[in-house]
Amino acid sequence: MGNSLKIEGLSRNFGSVIALDDFSLTIKKGELVSLLGPSGCGKTTALRIVAGLERASSGEITLNDKKITDVPAHKRNMGMVFQSYSLFPHLTIEENVAFGLQMRREPKEKRIGKAGELLELVGLTTQHKRFPHQLSGGQQQRVALARALAIQPEVLLLDEPLSALDAQVRQNLREEIRRLQVELNTTTLFVTHDQEEAMAISDRVGVMSHGKLEQIDTPDELYNRPATLFVASFIGAMNRIPTQLKDGEVEVLGEKHSVKNHNEKDGNVTALIRPESIELLHDSTYHNAVVVTRSFLGASSRITVRIGDGSILQSLMPSSDSMELHPGDLVQAVITDKKVLITNA
Amino acid sequence: MMNFRKNLDANIALAIAAIFLFLPLIAATEFSLRDGGTEKHSLISYRWILDQSGFSENLGITMRVMALAVILTLVLMVPTVTWLHLGGEKYKRLIDVLTMLPLIIPVVALATGAQLALPGFVHGTVYELSFLYVVVSMPYTYRALDIGMSARPLATLVAAARNLGASWINVMLRVIVPSILPSIFAALFMTITLSLGEFTLAQLLHWNTFPTWITNISQQNILGATALAVGSLFFAWVLLYIFTFLDRQPTQSAVNEE
Ligand SMILES: Nc1ncnc2c1ncn2[C@@H]1O[C@H](COP(=O)(O)OP(=O)(O)OP(=O)(O)O)[C@@H](O)[C@H]1O
Ligand SMILES: [Mg+2]
Repeated sequence: MGNSLKIEGLSRNFGSVIALDDFSLTIKKGELVSLLGPSGCGKTTALRIVAGLERASSGEITLNDKKITDVPAHKRNMGMVFQSYSLFPHLTIEENVAFGLQMRREPKEKRIGKAGELLELVGLTTQHKRFPHQLSGGQQQRVALARALAIQPEVLLLDEPLSALDAQVRQNLREEIRRLQVELNTTTLFVTHDQEEAMAISDRVGVMSHGKLEQIDTPDELYNRPATLFVASFIGAMNRIPTQLKDGEVEVLGEKHSVKNHNEKDGNVTALIRPESIELLHDSTYHNAVVVTRSFLGASSRITVRIGDGSILQSLMPSSDSMELHPGDLVQAVITDKKVLITNA
Repeated sequence: MMNFRKNLDANIALAIAAIFLFLPLIAATEFSLRDGGTEKHSLISYRWILDQSGFSENLGITMRVMALAVILTLVLMVPTVTWLHLGGEKYKRLIDVLTMLPLIIPVVALATGAQLALPGFVHGTVYELSFLYVVVSMPYTYRALDIGMSARPLATLVAAARNLGASWINVMLRVIVPSILPSIFAALFMTITLSLGEFTLAQLLHWNTFPTWITNISQQNILGATALAVGSLFFAWVLLYIFTFLDRQPTQSAVNEE
C-alpha cells in the first residue's frame, strides 16, 4: 500500500493572517484521515489547497508519487463535498451527479448509468428527476457526496459536510460516509470541528491549531496519549490539577502517581486527569472532596466535586455506582489510572 | 374572522392597484382601435403606422442597434459582475456607485463625453448608440445581475464545478450563466426596452431610429401615436413572457410531489 496523498510544508497567509504554517501530512491509500480543530485554524484552507482551489504560499503536494502542486483544480480528479449546499440549482439530481462525467466527455448512457448507481448507493434512487431545492438538507448532502464519488476520485475531500444538518441526520450520514469510503476504498480527507464525529469514523485524526498540525494519531492514541496540552484539552474533557514533579512522580489528591510522559523537568507542573479516571468513594472514611452537582447522562453520570484547594473536578462514573451521591456529600476522590499525564504549562 | 378581514383588505388594495394600472391601458387600447372619429372599432390606426414610409427601415436600424447593445451587455456585464462576486468584492462598493452615474449625469454630457471614449470603428455609425445604451441601461442591468448572483452561493458553485473537472469556459457557460439565467433575462429586458424607446440620445446625435421616427409621425396623427404606444407595450409583454418561459428552472408551485 503506497502513500496516496502527501502534503509537505504547506504554508499560506492572507495578508498578515497565517492560515497554514508548515503543514505536512501523508495519507495512505484507502485511509480516512480527519482534520480537527477550532474555527479559523486553517482546515478549509488546507483542503482547498489540496483541491487546487487555493494557492499555497509554499509547499508541495504529491499524489501517487506525482507532484500536483501546479496542476489546476479541474485536472486533479479529487471529489469534494462542501460545508454549504453546493448542488447546481438548474440541474436535476441526476444531472448534478453526472456533471463530472459530462466534463470528462463520457457518453450519455454511461453518465446516466453511473449516476443511477451512485444515487442508489446514497439511497436516493427515486429522487433523480427532482431539482436540488426540492430536497432536504440531508438529501442534498447525499447528492453532493454521490456527485463527488461519481468521478471515481483519487482523493475524496469533505469540508464539514454535516455541519448544517441536525444531530440525528448528522449521525446517520457520518456512518454512511464511512461505509461508502471503506466499500470504495477511497482515500479521504475529512474536515470537521466536531471531535466526536472525527473520532467515530476516522482511521487517524489530525488536530490543528493556528495553522499547524499539533498531532496526528489514531483516535485511541490521541485520547489516551495527547502529545501537547492543546490536544489534551481539545480532545475530550480534562481535569487540570496543579502539583509538583519530583523523581518522576507527582502527588495528586493525596496519592503519589508516576507520570506517563517523562520529558518534563522537576518543579511545578499540572496533572491532566480524564473525568472517567476519577472515582468517588462514598463509604470511605477518608474524605478529600465534597459533591457539588450530579447530572444523569444515561449509562453514566457526571459529578462535579470541590477539592481542598477550592477547585472543581469533574468525574464520570457509571450511573449505577453514583446513585448514592448527593450534593453536599463528603467523598474520597481517587485516581484510577496508575500513571498520569503532566504538563509544565 | 380576522383572516377574512385581512383577505378583504388585501383584495380591496389589489383591486384599486389593478384599476389604477389597467384602466388607462384599456382606455388607450380602446382609443387606438377607434375608426377615425366614429364609434366603430377597427385596426385602421395600426395599419396607418405600417403605411408610413420609413417604418421598416427605422425599425430595422433600432433592431440592429438593440442587438449589438444586448450582445455588449452580455459580454461586458455578465463576466464583470461575476468577477465582482468571486474575488473582486473589495471593488464592489466602488462599482455600485459607478453604475449609478448614468442616472446622475445629464444625457447631453453623456452623449458628447461618451463619444470621445468610444472605439474608433463605431465613430460615425449608428452603432455608437449601442454603446451608449449599454451605459444608460447599466444602472438597471447591473442591479438585476447583482441581485441574481447574490441569491446564489456562486463561489461554492464555481469551486464545485472546477473540482468536478470543468474548465473555466464550462464553469461560465454550464454553471454560472444557467444558474443566474432569470436575472440575465431581466438585465437583457432592460437593455431591450431601453433600446426600443430611447429618444433623447438618438435625437442629440442626429440618428434616425424607430423612436425618433415615431415621434415625427405621431405629430400628424394622434390615434396612430396611441396605437404605437399600445403596440410597443404589448411587444414588451410578449418579451417578458418569452423570457419567463425560456427559464427552465421550476418554480416552487410547479413541483409535482410523487
Ligand atoms: N480568502 C481569505 N481571505 C482572507 N483571509 C482568509 C481567507 N480564507 C481564510 N482566511 C483566514 O485564514 C484563517 C483560516 O481559515 P479557514 O477557513 O481555513 O479556517 P477553518 O479551520 O476552516 O475554520 P472553520 O471551522 O470556521 O471553517 C482564518 O483566520 C481566516 O480568517
Ligand atoms: Mg472551514
